[in-house]
Amino acid sequence: MSFREKSAWVSFACLLLFTLGVFHSQHVHTHDAQGNDLITPLHLALAIFVGFIVLQVVLHVIIAVQSPKDARTPKDERERFIELRAARIGFYAVVVGELIAMGAYHAHGRINTMMWSVLFAILVAWLIKLGSEIVFYRRG
Amino acid sequence: MSSLPIDNNIRRLRFEHGEMTQQGLAEQVGVTRQTINAIELGKYSPSLEVAFRIAAAFNAPLEQVFQYRKDRPAKK
Repeated sequence: MSFREKSAWVSFACLLLFTLGVFHSQHVHTHDAQGNDLITPLHLALAIFVGFIVLQVVLHVIIAVQSPKDARTPKDERERFIELRAARIGFYAVVVGELIAMGAYHAHGRINTMMWSVLFAILVAWLIKLGSEIVFYRRG
Repeated sequence: MSSLPIDNNIRRLRFEHGEMTQQGLAEQVGVTRQTINAIELGKYSPSLEVAFRIAAAFNAPLEQVFQYRKDRPAKK
């Protein structure tokens, strides 16, 4: 497996964890004995975001250390082509997602719903982009 | 089996040139080993520049390395 493919797998796994974590964090309420918030959902989401960045960096360093020459080499034409094709698929996904998010706002009229729908659409499109890269790498 | 309308003799030429490895050819051409593998298996069509570089690595004309198959449909 090339470094770029490993990188796509790492990014996909980290982003999936991040997406699940962020949306789950909105339903988590940690309280002390007096009922005060130990950590607000916003702070929890920020902590998950920082954890996402740290995990990505650490895992990328690990896979770079396994194949340093491969990691230092710039992307070749096939890798750039795979990235472009996957980005196009991700673009279509984000357009559809944003249209659904706008529809959700029109249906419910709540800006909060629209905000979370937009974020969800972006994350899903990003996952689709990374997943497409993995599929193209696997196909050869 | 190639899914593209272009066949190639890269694998045979590698073995005829001192059993050159895919990695060795990749380094000469300036692509990854996985790209050379994908080209050999007919899963990826290289650019004109890379195709010429592969031919130059074998000191062979382009037509000796790559052959266009008119009877095979173009990949969409």
